[in-house]
Amino acid sequence: MSPRRRRWGNLVVTLLGLVVAAYILAPFAWVALSSIQPEKELFRVPPHWFPRIVTADNYRFIFTGKFPAGYQETGLLRGRISEKARDALPALRNSTIVALTVALANLIFGTIAAYTFARVRFRGANPLYVFILASRLLPPMAVAIPYYLIINRLGLLDRYSALILIHSTFTLPFTVWFLTIYFRRVPPDIEEAAMVDGCTRLQALLRIVAPVAAPALAATAAFAFMFSYNDFPFALFVTATIRSQTIPVIVSVTAVNPDVSFGVVAVAVVLTMIPPVAFAMVFRNYITRGLIAVTTTR
Amino acid sequence: MNLVVPPRPKYREARYAYATVLPVVLLVALFTLYPIGFAVVTSLREVVLYKPESTPFVGLKNYVDVIRSEFFTSAWGHTLTFAAGAVPFATVLGFGIAHLLNARTRMASFLNVTILLPWAIPTVISGIIWAWIFNSSYGAFNGALYSLGVIERYVPWLSRPTTALLSVLFAHVWKEVPLTSILYLAALQAIPDELFDAARADGAGALAALRHITIPLLIPTTLIIVVYETMVAIVTFDLLYVMTGGGPGGATSLISYFVYNSMFTSYNFGQGAALAVLLAASLVVFIVIYLRLLRSEELYRE
Repeated sequence: MSPRRRRWGNLVVTLLGLVVAAYILAPFAWVALSSIQPEKELFRVPPHWFPRIVTADNYRFIFTGKFPAGYQETGLLRGRISEKARDALPALRNSTIVALTVALANLIFGTIAAYTFARVRFRGANPLYVFILASRLLPPMAVAIPYYLIINRLGLLDRYSALILIHSTFTLPFTVWFLTIYFRRVPPDIEEAAMVDGCTRLQALLRIVAPVAAPALAATAAFAFMFSYNDFPFALFVTATIRSQTIPVIVSVTAVNPDVSFGVVAVAVVLTMIPPVAFAMVFRNYITRGLIAVTTTR
Repeated sequence: MNLVVPPRPKYREARYAYATVLPVVLLVALFTLYPIGFAVVTSLREVVLYKPESTPFVGLKNYVDVIRSEFFTSAWGHTLTFAAGAVPFATVLGFGIAHLLNARTRMASFLNVTILLPWAIPTVISGIIWAWIFNSSYGAFNGALYSLGVIERYVPWLSRPTTALLSVLFAHVWKEVPLTSILYLAALQAIPDELFDAARADGAGALAALRHITIPLLIPTTLIIVVYETMVAIVTFDLLYVMTGGGPGGATSLISYFVYNSMFTSYNFGQGAALAVLLAASLVVFIVIYLRLLRSEELYRE
């Protein structure tokens, strides 16, 4: 290729890249801009693509409960319905607690089980492994009512533990499968030497294998966190009040109400996106590799 | 082989093995076997909310009723229409974006970071944002078309059957494109550079290389993406809940949303369970195809 053609080629690639970047980022920009404008500005036809009036009122409302100016015009009803959006902060706390616990449960139980599947030969290992993996194949809607009944019978409705159990059920199979494959690739020599010296299996895992497998552990923890944080249907079924409602639930039930203030919900949406986006950025490389593995390995 | 140390006692090793896999197995068993058993048993009985005392065995009646219902047929129709639009769209777009991600430019490294964003956020959140973009009084889409002079007044995109389904489809593709792009990127990077070098040495242009090297070598990945995305379309629920609520007039009531709606609004649990079993069974069909494809795929073998 001549240098000139290559330069043209690079230009085309850059331009197409800009189009794709705009396609991906535009929705984020739209919601971010909505969160910093007064309600009235949002309904301008045609919209001001670059906001003329910038305000922190919507954020102030979510954090302090002080109603944005201009609510008198849109009516009391709107104000009262938007009040629900203030649950965003406790819901964020609920989501974070649940998701971190699920990630931790995956790191503990998932890692130990995966190490056993990778290293120990025992009767029934293969059927159990296949059973764990196959459980992931049930579509959420098919198990919604039985899940509700189980949680009800355990007396865990509207509690963190209900969500932690269900999310762990959905994430552990992946963790076990992913880590089993990973551990099998780690040469067993050092562990065997350590065990000859009197180390137990568990000690070998903790002291020798875990440090080596740290990237894989980080990836599974990130996946578990994101699944739990992002889950909607199960959180909708087994939570009832702000005691355990997670942020996707609060934002959804608030947003589907046609009388809610867009600006206020936009703040909740922005706040909701911060933790998973931060996670995705920090664990980007592991997540990319994990995503490829999830969909393309048996 | 160390002959001095006696072999570890087998039973202790086995006890350790069972103890360590037990928590996972028990949890999974509770949330798998019970739901399956419950759904099958309930689906064979008449269970309605207003008669909790009597749940007579009715055999396959619930299944027959469900399959005969025109709503069931139309929900599958909508689902297949949706999949027929979403799957090629997400696949082709992913294929194109993967090439951009693979370019050695500064743009590519920026895109590699941003591409994950739609995947990272909760699906309901992306649904809410897109519902706002297509909103009839404050929507960015209406605003853009209006500014460009394409429309004279704002259009309620989500209140018309065809445009509502298209809007959901658009949001769905936006959410799925990160995954398809990354899968294609991985497949692209697995193609040895020598193949392209050889093609160039033989005088082949970029298009010829695309046609004779890239596309044939990406067929396995494409098959995987197509089947996987079809399954995702079948379980689509979150977007519908926040964007359209299945409406207008059931036009966006895809099969998973339809099952949810039947269970939680009709209170006919027998039929709801029959629906759940049928949904799970239809997904199994796709998964069997999917696993076959993965097995024939040598590229990714461990």
